[in-house]
Amino acid sequence: MSPRSEFLAGVRDIAPVLLGTVPFGLVAGVAAVSAGLSALEGLALSLFAFSGIAQLITCQLLAADSPVIVTVGAAFVVSLRLLMYSAALSPHLAHLNRRWRALLAFLMTDQSFAMTMHIATQSDRPHFHWHFLGAGVTLYCAWQASVALGIAVGAQVPPAWSLDFAVTLTFIGLLVPAVRTRADLAAGIVATAVALLAAGLPYRLALVVAAIAGIGAGLFVEKKGAHR
Amino acid sequence: MKTWLVIACVSAVTYLLRASFIVFADPQKFPHAFRQALRFVPPAVLAAIVAPGLLLAGGVIDPSPRNARLLAGLVALAVAARWRHPLAPIAVGMPVLWLLQWAMG
Repeated sequence: MSPRSEFLAGVRDIAPVLLGTVPFGLVAGVAAVSAGLSALEGLALSLFAFSGIAQLITCQLLAADSPVIVTVGAAFVVSLRLLMYSAALSPHLAHLNRRWRALLAFLMTDQSFAMTMHIATQSDRPHFHWHFLGAGVTLYCAWQASVALGIAVGAQVPPAWSLDFAVTLTFIGLLVPAVRTRADLAAGIVATAVALLAAGLPYRLALVVAAIAGIGAGLFVEKKGAHR
Repeated sequence: MKTWLVIACVSAVTYLLRASFIVFADPQKFPHAFRQALRFVPPAVLAAIVAPGLLLAGGVIDPSPRNARLLAGLVALAVAARWRHPLAPIAVGMPVLWLLQWAMG
């Protein structure tokens, strides 16, 4: 496939994912306004961070007037999965020059990662990075438009629509394929239990503690399995 | 001013995590234990994000059948396990939640 047809295929393949992106972006935009951010601040956070969950956590902690270090630390922990994606994708992108890699890294999301991993492993796709670019740019534009809409309508979205539940559902869609082995399952179950038990901790620390406990459980179960 | 500082730092953190291996580092050079731990980041972090969204209502754990978000979430989990499409949970979960909220008044 030529670069041009790869780019267009990327745009086409990411299109169905936008059904989930739009409500999530709306929620992120509303969250910025509710947290007291100005329209400019809300847009800047979205344009540069380009990560729904990092934006939501940042807004929640800014609203609670948390210290800068705590807010940035929480955003770091929820974004750690991007580090893992980066490690998994890097061998497939190693042949590209630094400018391409810097650009594709900026556009990498949960959705484009999953799609690109699938395509990069096919042998007859030498221009697959154009597919990544097409999908990434499309998702970026759709995300920014939905966040801007969320900022514009602000608190006018009726609570009865329960739009925030779309965020939880988005992560269910990512969680299920991420659980493949018994060790993955242990990581998920322990993280769930700790996230609930530690829910009373301030600054959304429960998420951090739960993530660390889950990773520990995964490592433990895997090690036990290997020694049997 | 503090808001702009946070925006700058969060943006830098998300970009550096994305760029870490793709732009700067060679994953083969990282310690084996670190790479093993990284593998469990997605199931652990994603579960820790999902669980409160289903089970916490106003800071209290609510595992009862009156919890519409829990029921709709369990349906979404089943749907996600059956059809491994990332959109299936949203396409099914939102209408189920609306239906349950309507039925429970």
